[in-house]
Amino acid sequence: MPLLTIATFLPILAGLALMALPDRSARIAHGVSIAATGAVFLITLVIWARGITPGSFAQIEEVAWIPAIGAAYRLGVDGLSLPLVLLTSLLFLLSAIYSARVSERAATYVVLMLMLETASLGTFMALDGLLFYVFFEVSLVGMYFMIVGWGYEDRQRAGLMFFLYTLLGSLPLLLAIIALYLGSGTFDMRDWIDAPPLAGIAAMLALIAMLFTFAVKIPAFPVHTWLPAAHVQAPTAGSVILAGVMLKFGTYGLVRFAYQMTPEAFVQAGQIILAFGVVSALYGAFAALAQTDLKKMIAYTSVNHMGYVVMGVAVAALATDPRIRTIGLDGATLQMVSHGLVTGALFFLVGMLQDRAHSRGLGEFGGLLARVPWLGWAFILSAFASLGLPGLAHFPAEFQVFLATLNVAPWAIVAILAIVVTAALYLRAIGAVFLGEANPKWAEMPDLDGREKLVIVPLLILTVLVGVAPGWLIEIIHTTMASLGN
Amino acid sequence: MERDLALLIPELVLSGAAMLMIVAEMARAPRLVLAIGLVALALSTALTLPMLDVDTTVFGGTYRIDAIAGWAKLILLPGTALALMMARAEIGGQPREGSVYALIVLVTLGALMLSGGGDMMVLVIGVVMTGLGSFALVAYPRDDAATEAGMKYLVFGAVTGSVMIYGLSFWFGGAGSTLFSEMGQLEGQRLVAIAGLIAVIVGLGYKAALVPFHFWAPDAYDGAPVSIAAYLSVITKAAAFFAFAQVLRDLPRDVGWPLALALISAATMTYGYLTALVQTNLVRLIAYSSVAQSGYLLMGVVALGVSPIAVPALLVFAAAYVAMNLGAFAVIMVAGRSLDDLEGVGRSRPWLGVAMVVFLLSLTGIPPLFGFVGKVYLFMAAVEAGYLWLAIIGILNSVLALGVYLRMVVPMYRSAEGRAPAPVGSWLVAVLSITAVATLGLGALAGLLLP
Repeated sequence: MPLLTIATFLPILAGLALMALPDRSARIAHGVSIAATGAVFLITLVIWARGITPGSFAQIEEVAWIPAIGAAYRLGVDGLSLPLVLLTSLLFLLSAIYSARVSERAATYVVLMLMLETASLGTFMALDGLLFYVFFEVSLVGMYFMIVGWGYEDRQRAGLMFFLYTLLGSLPLLLAIIALYLGSGTFDMRDWIDAPPLAGIAAMLALIAMLFTFAVKIPAFPVHTWLPAAHVQAPTAGSVILAGVMLKFGTYGLVRFAYQMTPEAFVQAGQIILAFGVVSALYGAFAALAQTDLKKMIAYTSVNHMGYVVMGVAVAALATDPRIRTIGLDGATLQMVSHGLVTGALFFLVGMLQDRAHSRGLGEFGGLLARVPWLGWAFILSAFASLGLPGLAHFPAEFQVFLATLNVAPWAIVAILAIVVTAALYLRAIGAVFLGEANPKWAEMPDLDGREKLVIVPLLILTVLVGVAPGWLIEIIHTTMASLGN
Repeated sequence: MERDLALLIPELVLSGAAMLMIVAEMARAPRLVLAIGLVALALSTALTLPMLDVDTTVFGGTYRIDAIAGWAKLILLPGTALALMMARAEIGGQPREGSVYALIVLVTLGALMLSGGGDMMVLVIGVVMTGLGSFALVAYPRDDAATEAGMKYLVFGAVTGSVMIYGLSFWFGGAGSTLFSEMGQLEGQRLVAIAGLIAVIVGLGYKAALVPFHFWAPDAYDGAPVSIAAYLSVITKAAAFFAFAQVLRDLPRDVGWPLALALISAATMTYGYLTALVQTNLVRLIAYSSVAQSGYLLMGVVALGVSPIAVPALLVFAAAYVAMNLGAFAVIMVAGRSLDDLEGVGRSRPWLGVAMVVFLLSLTGIPPLFGFVGKVYLFMAAVEAGYLWLAIIGILNSVLALGVYLRMVVPMYRSAEGRAPAPVGSWLVAVLSITAVATLGLGALAGLLLP
């Protein structure tokens, strides 16, 4: 059974079916949404159970599309994409459950969410350059309408900025893909990986184009400015998907395209890419420290965490020892998943807080832990995970990244300073919101209800599980990275 | 002779139908005129299908039956049928409506001659046929705006047309033949070749609305009925590009035409979008956006002869452009001519809103829509031909395009103050569904259909 294709297109087909229904009330729409995302989640579990093979792509599905130019419909998974596919299907399911209270134009909202899921899964599983680009761009359209339609106060401006920024960002990738095609005569990404078609200056130009695209998406300093605006204005589920899934397009592309398809140029530019990673990590942490808006603060910590991913990939390219290289790539990939779990949880929690208080300002709360213990402890646990506490999801990832960095480019270890800053800012946030003197204004605030617990608990469990026993996840990643590192 | 006529069957059907339509119009039977037109267009399309793989010429090389001409018919004939339906929706019941249908079919016949032209005289006939018919179409409403627009169009067309004929005489002098296939003879006669080239760029550039010969377009589109503007913006324009392809593919590249056209292409798309950014009249906005799209089409012409995908790129993008531009004009026919008329349309009529978003995103070049596929082909052709800088300008302009088209999308989803939507006629519903489905679906299929 072509499970990859079914998983990819089931959401959008469910969305189309919903549009055709005579009764498109909020109840039915959310029912369709939860059923579809739930089914996709189960299918991705089966894909996981089917397993992957070291050194190549597994479960390949291929149909001719444009034979004249060697473009085809090709899907497949490996140790890099499978964890991200699982993360995607989980976060979309949880977002669907969380969103069940959206009553304003619910059917349209659900259709957009389902379209986004198709685009996201397609982006991670596509093995054809043109197909990848198609999915990559469709996600933009979905997210734009999401922000503009269901966002907060300043959504028009934020949506436009997001769309223009990322469209301008992704077009250089199209040039790079055309260059790879002209160099090889096919759009098959497997061919591009097995025998990188470009060399010399052409490879370097293609790499620069790709780096530009993925840096905008990641987002890395200095092209990150769209992110805080988009995050703050997006609806909660939109923020979760944006941070948890769509930022990974950038880091996934960094490994899949830049690292694998222009390997020599990537090594040449390694120190510069590493420097951008370090600056992003530090800048993200310090910028987050300066925020008084909770959502904006978490958005900036994403810049910080993604900076570590860039560092991990860059040191892997610079390393001469294959073992170190594998450690760097393992860490970077694990960091993508951890960030999805932890930041996803944090955005959900801030959303829940905002639903209750209609405010996100750090100074407006205080002593909430006694009032809403579930919300409070969940936030504290996620915050500790986010700052890299051992035993929680980010630790094994960041540990591997720093280990590899120390081995290859000791100067870059200054990025570890960012962990201290992150710790400070989270402690400050926890102190301001959940500890201290209770603000009487929120004396009536209700704690999490059953549906909200259903959304947040799985993420917390996974956060602990990945922190304490990451073996099962690293094993998937390692299967591919071990052969990639050699 | 019989073989030649057999190969010309699609054109003959169309010209016969045009005569019949004029007769029927004299009998004041506009419905009959429309019916003849639609049937003839369908028949002509069907007759083209078996001839797609033919690559030959008729009447001593003067008229080409090749891939460009064949696919041009498959694009232009259905496009014309859609335009006829739009015209019926807009001017149905008004006096002289039948003459509009007859003129549209005649102009399309001229467009087919442009896309199959293998000889200077055929080219001139094509230019004159499309030109004269179009002037009359623009001036159809007989009010001040339309008369002024038609007059402007006529004067501009007459001047550029004469310049072109004058320039072609240089080529005739240099090559000793009026056949384009003999233009290789111009090798070495640089000045003569350039003189003729400039004239051809003036003549066809005017039809294609290239900068700086685009001035007539916004005025003519704005003065004419919306359906006529839609028709002129796609059919005669696409035909002009097919003519470019037919004329230039035999001209030696070292004359410098690729570079000249690349510069014009860059200027056209940039100028078109920059001007579109400040328009508040929807028809003028789309008119300037059409000017910009001409710049993209020209990229395909630039790559002609060196990139094997130049011709497919031109055809795919032209087909996409016909579908999405006609669709956008059809939405304007429903919503109104001003940007403010779009306010809340997406909320009061969700399907119309979705259709417009599809057309506009396709015009921007967002995958997986038809316009994106066309643009990818064009970029590939340009890069392959060594015009990387042109592809980059095209890509940068795509961002400008997003700004232009989002200006229309954003008001559509603002909440409107309860304006009751008027019902959309069945002709327009048909046009909107066909163009929307084509824009959505043909992108994925284009690869399978093309040779």
